[in-house]
Parts: sequence; structure tokens; C-alpha cells
Amino acid sequence: MNPSTAPHTSRAASLAAGAILTTLSLIFSYVEALFPLSLAVPGIKLGLANIVVVLALYTAGKRTAFLVNLLRILLAGLLFGNAFSILYSLAGGLLSFAAMCLLKRTGWFSILGISMAGGVFHNLGQLTVAALAVSSFGLFYYFPVLLFAGMATGILIGIVAVLVLQKLPVLR
Amino acid sequence: MTICKKADIILAILFLLLGGASLWLTHQLAAPGARVVIMVDGKEYGTYSLQENRAIEVIQPGEMRNVIRIENGSAFMDESTCKNQVCVHQGAISLSHQSIVCLPNKVLLEVIVKGGSDRSPDSVTY
Repeated sequence: MNPSTAPHTSRAASLAAGAILTTLSLIFSYVEALFPLSLAVPGIKLGLANIVVVLALYTAGKRTAFLVNLLRILLAGLLFGNAFSILYSLAGGLLSFAAMCLLKRTGWFSILGISMAGGVFHNLGQLTVAALAVSSFGLFYYFPVLLFAGMATGILIGIVAVLVLQKLPVLR
Repeated sequence: MTICKKADIILAILFLLLGGASLWLTHQLAAPGARVVIMVDGKEYGTYSLQENRAIEVIQPGEMRNVIRIENGSAFMDESTCKNQVCVHQGAISLSHQSIVCLPNKVLLEVIVKGGSDRSPDSVTY
């Protein structure tokens, strides 16, 4: 809790922005839990809540985005899941967040590319936890499918993020 | 801000190449399986031939129940007490290294070639 991390932001403003973003991502998690979009391959979902994480990364900064991501996973896990689903989401969420932050820092990528990488690394993190949970690396058989699916969902999320960012005032 | 940068496309191509390569690799390694191994909570529960049609019931404490069915050379999860039912919707598996996982109940099915007359990776050097 260091008040000097965001120089031109009042703490109240960044707190409010963070709270709104967290609530929004929680609503998206809820919508997705209500209507699980079953695609051709089991276990794949759109990851609506990641729209908020991507938006937070671009509008409210890394620190807020990280907190929103973490809170969303913990809250959604407690409300709609269990201890294991939290662990599972954490692996995907944190790996994806780390990848997106690193790529964003290079400055070479647009939101589309960053969101795409986020989708891919999200699936990779979840696959790793799944493989550890059942102590089998045979699961990596699904790596190509999950990689393509992560690309597709990541690009979709990225397109939505671009469209929203054109309308949204910067929260900074 | 441009919609799409050059680095995005390079990254997408890299991902596609990686996916394509691993897809190719898994197809190279795939062979008709002979048996299916059932693992429960990381420990082997049993190994069953894919040639014999049968149903295997796995019951675990905490009202966790899975029914695995073997029919016509492939195996599938017929019933599961888990909430998401991902394993049940996954369909049947019959090729080596294919697997079905029920994460909530920690039940894993994996097709193997070992123990059958099918080719193993060591015997395909022509």
C-alpha cells in the first residue's frame, strides 16, 4: 500500500476504478458460468472476464489490472467454483497476465497480439496444472488444440477490447 | 494506435507453426491403442483391453462415481458425478496417448499400445 505508486491519481479514483473493473469481470464470470459455451472441444471457453483484464491493463495500469485479475479469480472461484477451480484459474490467469505484461512492455505488439498471447498462455497454464493434478503428461496431446483455441479466443477478446477502448475514457 | 502490428502477425505465425508442429508430432506418435489405463488420484487403478466390451465403475469417497465404458475398441466416460461433465462430453478415445480427464474427480483414462501386438515407437524404424 504505497500511496506514491500512481503519481497523478488520487487513491480514491484508482480504488473506484479497480472496484468497477473487478465487479464487471465478476459479472462476466457469472454470465459465463450461467451459459457455458460448449465448443467442439471440451474445457474450452471464451474467457469473457479476460476482456476486463485486457482493458484494465490498457486503461488503469499494470498494478490495478493484476489486482482485478487476482480478485476476480478468487471471488469467482469462491462463488461459482471450488478450491481446485481456483488453483486451475490462477495458473491460467497468472501465466497469461505475466505473458501479456512482458509483451506489452516490449511495445512491439498491438492489443490483438497481446490478447492472443494471453489466450494461448492461459490455456498453457491450465493444461500444466491439469497434467500435474492427474500426474500425467499424456495430456499434452491436447496442446495443439488448446493452442489454436487460445489464439482464436484471444483474438476475439482483443477485437472486443479494441472496440471498447475506442469508446472508453482513460481511467488513469 | 494501429489495429494490428507486424509483430502480432509474426507471433501468430510462430504460434501456428508451433501448433502445426505439435499436431504433426502427435499424429506421428498416434497408433491404434491396445489398452486403456485408468488412473485415480495419480495412482493406477487398472488396465483394460480395448478389445473387450465392458463397463468399469470407479467409486471414491465423497460420493464421487465415474463409469467408464469400453466398446468396439474405444473407451469413453459414460457417467460422472462431477459438476462440469467435461469428461462425459469428450467422446470416445482409441488412439495411443489420447486421454480423457475428469479433473474434479481426478480420474484419468489414457490409451496405451504397450502389451498389444500394435506397433510401438521403437518398432517403426523401417
